[in-house]
Formats: sequence, structure tokens, C-alpha cells
Amino acid sequence: MGNELNRRSFLNAAVSAAGLVAMGPLLSACGGGGPQRAGVNSESGLKAVLPAYVPNTSIKPDIPSVAGGPDVLTDPGFLGYPANRPATVSGVPGKGGRYSAVTPLWGTIPPADNSFYQAMNKALGVTLDMKPADGNNYNTIIPTMTAAKKLPDWINLPGWWNPAFNTAGLVGNQLADLTPYLSGDNIKKYPNLAAIPSAAWRAGAWGDKLYGIPSFATGCGVAGAIMYRRDILDAKGITADQVKSADDLMNLGKELTDAKGGVWAFDDVYRYFYTAFGAPLKWKVDNGKLIHLFETQEFLDAADWHRKLAVAGYIHPDALAGDNAGGNTRFYSGKTLISGGGLGVWNLADLQSGQAANPNFRRGAFNFFAADGKSAPRVDLNPATNIVSYLNANLKPEQIEELLSVANYLAAPFGSAEYTMVNFGVEGTHFTMKDGVPTPTEAGQKEVQAKTYPFLASAPAAINNPNGDIVTKDLAAWQAANVKAMAKPVFWSMNISMPSAQATAEAAQPVEDTLKDVIHGKKSIQDLKDSVANWKSSGGGDRLIQWTNDNVLQKHGTGQ
Amino acid sequence: MTTLRSDRAGRPAKLSWRIRLRRDRSLILMTLPAVVLLVVFNYVPLFGLATAFQEYDPLAGVWQSTWAGLYQFERLLGDSLFWGALKNTLYLSFVQLILFFPVPIALALLLNSVLSQRIRNFFQSVVYLPHFFSWVLAITIFQQMLGGAGALNQFLRSNDIGTWDIMTNPDTFALLVTSQVIWKEAGWGIIVFLAALAAINTDLYEAAAADGAGRWRRLWHITLPGLRAVIVLMLVLRLGNALTVGFEQFLIQRNAVGHDTAEVLDTFSFYYGIATGDYSYGAAAGLFKSVISLLLIWGANKLAHAFGEDGLYRK
Repeated sequence: MGNELNRRSFLNAAVSAAGLVAMGPLLSACGGGGPQRAGVNSESGLKAVLPAYVPNTSIKPDIPSVAGGPDVLTDPGFLGYPANRPATVSGVPGKGGRYSAVTPLWGTIPPADNSFYQAMNKALGVTLDMKPADGNNYNTIIPTMTAAKKLPDWINLPGWWNPAFNTAGLVGNQLADLTPYLSGDNIKKYPNLAAIPSAAWRAGAWGDKLYGIPSFATGCGVAGAIMYRRDILDAKGITADQVKSADDLMNLGKELTDAKGGVWAFDDVYRYFYTAFGAPLKWKVDNGKLIHLFETQEFLDAADWHRKLAVAGYIHPDALAGDNAGGNTRFYSGKTLISGGGLGVWNLADLQSGQAANPNFRRGAFNFFAADGKSAPRVDLNPATNIVSYLNANLKPEQIEELLSVANYLAAPFGSAEYTMVNFGVEGTHFTMKDGVPTPTEAGQKEVQAKTYPFLASAPAAINNPNGDIVTKDLAAWQAANVKAMAKPVFWSMNISMPSAQATAEAAQPVEDTLKDVIHGKKSIQDLKDSVANWKSSGGGDRLIQWTNDNVLQKHGTGQ
Repeated sequence: MTTLRSDRAGRPAKLSWRIRLRRDRSLILMTLPAVVLLVVFNYVPLFGLATAFQEYDPLAGVWQSTWAGLYQFERLLGDSLFWGALKNTLYLSFVQLILFFPVPIALALLLNSVLSQRIRNFFQSVVYLPHFFSWVLAITIFQQMLGGAGALNQFLRSNDIGTWDIMTNPDTFALLVTSQVIWKEAGWGIIVFLAALAAINTDLYEAAAADGAGRWRRLWHITLPGLRAVIVLMLVLRLGNALTVGFEQFLIQRNAVGHDTAEVLDTFSFYYGIATGDYSYGAAAGLFKSVISLLLIWGANKLAHAFGEDGLYRK
């Protein structure tokens, strides 16, 4: 389902670049079609190759991370900006090579060969020809490069588009195998890369080999949460901890909707709430039997709850009309008060946009709860990242080592001298320090803030919103309050690549379409049941379940 | 190309192609750039149709992908969603033919009867303008005005009159999209008719008026016959495009009324072909549509010739 969400997001232009720092990377569980595919990652095979994890402790966060279960950890929070910014790399990492790099950019493409690129080339000791490409069309731009076998030297391939890029088919023949350079203790040669948690390297591992370099790694990525206008709900005396069940949420719909006044309680929340009903993210294993989400009663219950929400008139009519792109505008202007969404949106830019509409704007998120209000809350953990960059297979070993040294520079921890350079540019030219925080100049806005280098490699995620500490505090507090609920779903971060017939069945477009009609109150649960039955029998659903059972579950386990 | 062909048809085939080539060389030279563009952008990509007969894998490329014969077409013909999309397309096309096609003609006649050049120019500009809006903008305007939270419904709500579901009602979707097309394209559509009207000899009107013919008789006996050739040409083109009712307009509103109602062949190819990475299936649906369209335009042209009209070209 995470996959579907993302495939749609390029249409809805919903991906916000600014949000990527803390974005919960979404599950990407399938590869494209065709015969020559790297296999699924296995737990034992991966253990042997995953890089060692040596955390960097030189810069102390103001809000330390809180650990949950295995591989679950909240992001550290930093208030203001570190005054002391130590260097983590001595000398220049490169040896004068020249390389091309392509990254997705959700925003205005900066001018080529600008002063920031020049400064970066000098700092890196290589000439990196940065060629950012429009993020919204990225999944249509890259396949032409891969089909022509003309990939750049270094390229970012977001995980949610793995089927479109056919990453599983590219690794090994067009993308370089990094296992000899990075596996186990080898990575210690690149200390900043070694400070990226092992879990994140799984996202770029295919067939038990390392190919990808992860960016924005986080230990608490989830699909999203139900967020609300904290300023407005606080004023009405409603706090997050009062909302403990699906019924509570439904009652809020009644209390907050004022259609005459142009205010509806809800925007779409289904995608971020269905698992609260006990439905699996996509798969569950019951007594050794593999069960798909669509086969569960909980899936139907969740859809029915949302259908009732729509029929009751608690959802904004524009949301029911399928206008997702306007969701943020509705939220900022107070026309909707509760909305599901990825946590990447909760950042400084969001605060500024909201305050432009209403100076009191404050975003909040409900804690995860079970729909029945009694069971223990649980939410599925995403892979530790979905932003992964790869090197070209045609590079010579010494070139790969040179680029890995560059990656080591780019992955310098939050607040270090290198991090400041990569994210804010040169002091005086691209930013000035105002009230202790780096503030971009006009050149900085244009050349640096359009993020490119972090998509090649970056430090593990940290929460930091210069001049917006309230966001940092709110988000860190929310993560800490919910970290215990986060757990790995079945087939977590296994990079399954499947034949195209199965991939098509997994996309389940007809069921997704019917589901959308149901949760918007246009169709009945019976229609959804019929659609699922049809998907199972003639849409390849049964074969998908069989294939996944035989080739993934039986051979490699659940990955949990 | 057309010139050559109509020449061949129009004259007895006496002149050898050499002589005709010499005679027409400047005309041929002038059309050459257009022909080159056509070949590069319309004919060369036809090669990609091969994917409709394959299990196409973008990574392997067209040459290396496995051949599947007619498998994709078998899937297509057995897919109830495809038949639903075809049915919707034909239905919407029919509704638009009845409700939209006459509108530009009527508008052109109305405008033509306005004598003041200034008023005419003003109205012409006003009705042209929406053509230059994108569908995203056009539908946003409709949503803002007529949507569930739009101006109309908020007015009804504030006066305690029941709301009127216009934008998300599947039953009236055909009327909604047709009215959107009229709002956006009718003004643009009058250009060709206005040109045809300008070509009618005004002496005919004077003579008819002198003979005592009233407004309606002049319209019936002079104006409409003068427009007939253009109307038939537009009709033939419209029929040939019967399976193309638009893409963005339906892509944007598909979620609003549900895919049962808003799925047309083009959105079908997009969602079930491109969006799910099932390229061969999408190509098969597209090829199917093209073949039917070709048959339609051929048939409509035959019909036009049978009625003694020019159709797409003079026979």
C-alpha cells in the first residue's frame, strides 16, 4: 500500500522536498518485471555484509534519541543551531576526478555551475557535475537513461519507484557492487558513512549485496499519522490524549464540522489509519499462513469506518472530489482541521506557510491508538530510508573509492562544518548567522536550499528547524511518545523483486480504485468485497499470494 | 502529400511523375519540413507498437523483450474494466456530439449577426479566453463555483436550502464534462465557422432580401448551405476522434465520481498500463483504440463522399 501511495504522489505533487529530512520513507516491496532480477535479501546473507555501525557522538543533541524495539530509534532534536561546528574530515576527500550526478529535486532547478557548486567542488576535491531533475517526473526521466544504458556516475533512485526504475535488474550490471568497499568493518575507512545505522543499508541491498548509499536514514519512519490543527483544537479544549479510539475520532467529526461556516473536521485520513483497525500494512502471517491485506476483515472494517465518516458529512467536499493537491491549503486556511499525512510535512516551511495564513498556526499529531480503544497501539515501521544513491558499474575501483570518500564528506553529522557547508553553503555568500542560526541569503535560497548533494549521501536524520524550535520540540515529543508503538511489518526492508505479472497484481489498481470510491462514500463494502474477489481470481491476486509465499516467506522468512 | 493526391485524382493521368515533380517542386519543398517532422515524431515512434505484442521490459528494451503474440489483446478483450472504459468513451463522445458540436456553429451565427465590430471583437475575446486555460485551472474554477464547498453550495447552505451535488455525482457526469467542454472550447471552435461565414458572398443576402426573403429563409437557404462543407469536415474529424474524448479532464475528475463513470480509454491506458508498469498492456489498449479510430474516420469520410461532400479531401 505504501507503494501505491507513492506512485500517486507524483501526480498529486504531494512530495515536499523540505519534508524529506524527517520523512518516513515508505515501504517499497516490489521490483519490476523481467527475468534477470537480483533476489530477495535474506536475514543470514545480509548479516554477513551489512556495514558496521559506529555512531558519531561529537555533537550532543538538545533532545536525545529515545530507543524503541530493535532498529527503532527517534531522531535527535537540535534547538537553534550548534555554535561550535567541528570538522569531521581532514583535507579534501577527492583526487581531482570528474563525475556526473543526477538527483531528484522537488523545487526550482538551480542554475548550472553556480557559485555553490563551485565552492562544493573545491571542498570535495572533485568536479561533480550536478544535474538535478524534476522530482515529480523523475520516474519517467530515469527509465530512458537505464534503457539506453547511459546512467550518470552517481544517481539517486528513490526506493518507492523501484519498480519503475527496475533497480533490481540494474544492480550488478549497470550499478556498482559496493560490498567489497563497505561490508562489515571495511566501512570504518569512511567514519561518517559508518555512522549511518546498519538498518538503512538494507534499503540499498539487493540479493544480499550492498549497492546503495542511504540518505536521511531514520529509525522511526512510519507511513504517517493523523495530524490536526493544534492551535484550533487547543482553543476548544481538545487535546491529543483525549482521542483514544475510532469512535472518539468520529465524534470529533461531529463536534468540529461546521459546513455552514465552511469548516469540515476531516480531510482524507484512511491511508494513515487503516492499520489502527488491526489490518496489516500489506501482509500478515497467521499460523504460518501468508495473508494479504485485502483478505482481512480488518481491512473492510477500516474502509467502512471511513465510508461512514464521508457519508456523515465530516470530510471536506473537495477531498471527496479527489482534490489531494489542495489538502495543505485547506489545512492552513482552517477549512479542514484533521488530516492524514506523512510526517515529512511537519517542519519549518510548514510552520511558516501555516503562520502566513494564521499567526497562531501550530501542527499537532494524534498519538497512535487502536481503533477499538482497548488493544495496544501498533504502527508499522518503514524501511530506514527510501532515498538511496548508486554508483555506475563502469567506474574503476579507485574511482569508486574516491566517490565513497566524497560520500563520507556529504554524510558528515548534523551541525559539523561539512554539514553546514553542504546544507547552507559558504558563510557570507550563501548564508549569514542571524540570532545564532544560519539564515540563507538570496544566493543561498536559489543555489543551496534546492537540495541536491544530500540526495547522494547524508547524515542520519536529525530534527532541526532554525527559528522554529516549537516544531522541533513538538515533533521530537510526538516521536518519543509513539516510539514504543512502532514495530516491523512482515517482509520489512527485504527489497523483494517480483516478475511483472506479480507486480501488476500487487499494484491492484482495480481494488485501489474501488477502495477510493468506498472511503469517499460512493460505493458499498459489498462492492469492495466483489472487487477483492475479482482481483483474487482473475486479477492475479491468488497467484501473487502463492508466489510471495513460495519465493519470499518460505525461502527467506518474514524479515521481522 | 494531399496536393499530389488530389492532383492525381483531379486530372487525367497524362503527365508523368517527372513532369509533375518539376512543376510542383517548390510546393513539395515547402511541405518537406512538415513531412520530416511528421515522419520523425509520428511515424518513427510507431515502431514502439511492437511492445503491444511483447512482455515489454524497459530495461531489456524492445529488441530483447519476450514476444507474447496476441496475449495482451486476449487479456484486453477479457477485461471488464476495458469494456467499461470503451462504453464510457463512446457514451461521452455521443453526448458531446449531440450537445457540444452544434454550440460553436450557433455561436458563430449569433456573432455574425452582430453588426458592431467593436462589440463583436469584445465577445469574441471573451469566449476565446477559456481555451487558453489548462484543464487543471478550468476544473478548479468549476470546483470553486459548483463544488460541495463552492460558492453556489455555500450560498444554498447559508440560506438553509438543500445542497446540490454537481461535481461528484456519477449520474450527471456526462452533462458536467460536456458543459465544461462547452465553457472551455466552444469559443475557440467558432473560428473556423466564422471564417467560412466571411467567405459567403454578401451579394447573395442582398439579392435574397430584395426578393423578400426573411431572416430565417436567408439563414436556411444561404448561410447554412455556405457552411455545409465545413460542418461536414468538422463532423468527419469529430467522428474519427470519437474514441478520444480528452485525458486530463478525466484524469483530474476520476476520483471525484469514481472510475466506473470517468474511466475512458486514455485513462485506462494510463492507469492500467503506465502507472502499474504494465507497458505492453497499455500499448495494446492504445493500439486497439487507434485501429478503431482509423476505421471510424475512414467510414465517416466514405459517408461524406457518398453525400457528395469533400470530407477530408476531394475525391
